[in-house]
Amino acid sequence: MTAVMEAPAAAPRRGQWRRGFGTPSARIGLAVVGLMYLAGLAAPLLTGHDPEAQSAHALLGPGGGHLLGTDEYGRDLWARVLYGIRVDVLVTVVAVPIGAVLGTALGVLCGVHRWVDVVLQRAFDVMLAFTALILGVTVAAVIGPGLPAVLVTVAGVNVPLFGRIARDAVLTQRDLDYVVAARTVGVGPVRLLLRHILPNGVDGLVVQGALSLSLAVFVEGAMSFVGIGVRAPAPSLGSLLRSSVNFLHQNPAYAVGPMVAVTLLVVAFNLVADGLGKGLLKR
Amino acid sequence: MIRYSLRRVPSGVLVLAVASVLVFAVLRLAPGDPAVVLAGPDAPPETVAKVRAQLGLSDSLPAQYAHWLKGLLTGDLGHSYILGAPIGKLIGHGLGATLELTLGALVLAVLIGGAAGIGAAVPRNRQVRALANGFTSLAGAVPPYVTGVLLVLLFAVTVRLLPAGGRVPILSDPGIGWQYLIMPALCLALPVAAVLARFLAASIRRVRDEDYVRTAVAKGIAPRRILVRHVLPNALPPVVTVLGIQVGQLLGGAIVVEAIFAWPGVGQLLLQGVLGRDYLLTQDLLLLAVAVFVVLQTLTDLVQAALDPRRRLEGR
Repeated sequence: MTAVMEAPAAAPRRGQWRRGFGTPSARIGLAVVGLMYLAGLAAPLLTGHDPEAQSAHALLGPGGGHLLGTDEYGRDLWARVLYGIRVDVLVTVVAVPIGAVLGTALGVLCGVHRWVDVVLQRAFDVMLAFTALILGVTVAAVIGPGLPAVLVTVAGVNVPLFGRIARDAVLTQRDLDYVVAARTVGVGPVRLLLRHILPNGVDGLVVQGALSLSLAVFVEGAMSFVGIGVRAPAPSLGSLLRSSVNFLHQNPAYAVGPMVAVTLLVVAFNLVADGLGKGLLKR
Repeated sequence: MIRYSLRRVPSGVLVLAVASVLVFAVLRLAPGDPAVVLAGPDAPPETVAKVRAQLGLSDSLPAQYAHWLKGLLTGDLGHSYILGAPIGKLIGHGLGATLELTLGALVLAVLIGGAAGIGAAVPRNRQVRALANGFTSLAGAVPPYVTGVLLVLLFAVTVRLLPAGGRVPILSDPGIGWQYLIMPALCLALPVAAVLARFLAASIRRVRDEDYVRTAVAKGIAPRRILVRHVLPNALPPVVTVLGIQVGQLLGGAIVVEAIFAWPGVGQLLLQGVLGRDYLLTQDLLLLAVAVFVVLQTLTDLVQAALDPRRRLEGR
């Protein structure tokens, strides 16, 4: 019972956030992500090359004005990697929050009525049966390959993930003493949800958020890699890696840039999720 | 157990039914008319109409869906527009390759994941545990397309040890076949191995704190025997669930891995279908992928319930 009574107090929460974001792994992860996003956004300042400008100097190794060499059309690979990061910035900043909000809203709806809960739970089951890449293929089949397909897929993958966590949070919190007490005092349902239930169920959602950012980078890379995501000549880390496969003999460095960038982003977001999980979920 | 199965199986069938309607419906939203594509660019409207009737596209949508479903149940999957062959035959060919790849990956995942999981939880040596933990984090985070390109770079380009792509069926020539299989299978296996290792290690640590293990230690039973007879049998059931869910996702991962290594499986077929706008082929394969996932998940639940009676009573 004591654990339940502690939960809603406001003061320790702020400390908990600090504990979550203050763990070494969360700090390292955030630093890496921050640096890479900054590099992506400041791409025009970090390179003088146009990522889509072709030249006669194809498949050069690193050096001589081209930090990572050039691709098969003589395009500067360092510029293409930097601009490729921008795609992931877009996917993580736009698509993940859309999926998260939509999923959370649906999850909260589960608390409205038993039948709504049953129907939505089945809907989540169906959505989860479309694993990330299978959903990506479905979306690409309908709206055609491209960045929009990646955005829709990443948002869609996240809906059932956040939906389930939000549902569980609402259903467990709803019957706890402090919520019953608040309701007895006359707090309305909307206020109850926004001020009492969601803030106390938010830990799981935040950790899922960090995992989802990692998943988003992964899905963008996979979709672009197999040719249903971002397509040439626009650069993305996945499509760069894909085209490098054909030229590994001529310029092995071709693959290095996108490989390092994708791995750093995915690992960094995982580190953030680990740190947050340790700080927030384990009490 | 029978009662549990009777409750669990229908929900799987329901998910599958809804998914089939969904796949059918969304692909009808796709732009482009297959009949126009098939009849050719300069075909007169009458020809297009005739092709449409041949494909059954002039029927009402429910009739088309019923026709498709009937075909699926009777084994007639239709004809691929772009590859000019019966889809059943195409999938049959691809499925052999994909099955070889996923089974190879599964074996590797269980071996590597088992070793890393035990290595992360059991040894007294801290360095061994740290090594196993480090491996697990890395294998779990690095996407298969990065691992794949790295493997090709190392073992096919730098050291010319293994072929960079293609397939020789391992059953027809095991000596050569494994050389083609090992890199793609490893690439597909590593993320699964990482998840297995993490859950196995956590499960072992939890079981080791149980009273009966302490009793066994107090009785003076040898550590190896405690691990094999007391800890592992009780640590494994939760890991089975995780394995089932992971295997259900292997087909998605196979799409990427097959693309890296030019492995002629159903993943490649699916991509050809999507990029060539072959809706029937895409539709059949998407439903196959969903069906594999749902069947495996249902089976996992049943196995789990058989291993752990408490599961059967949940949610009554």
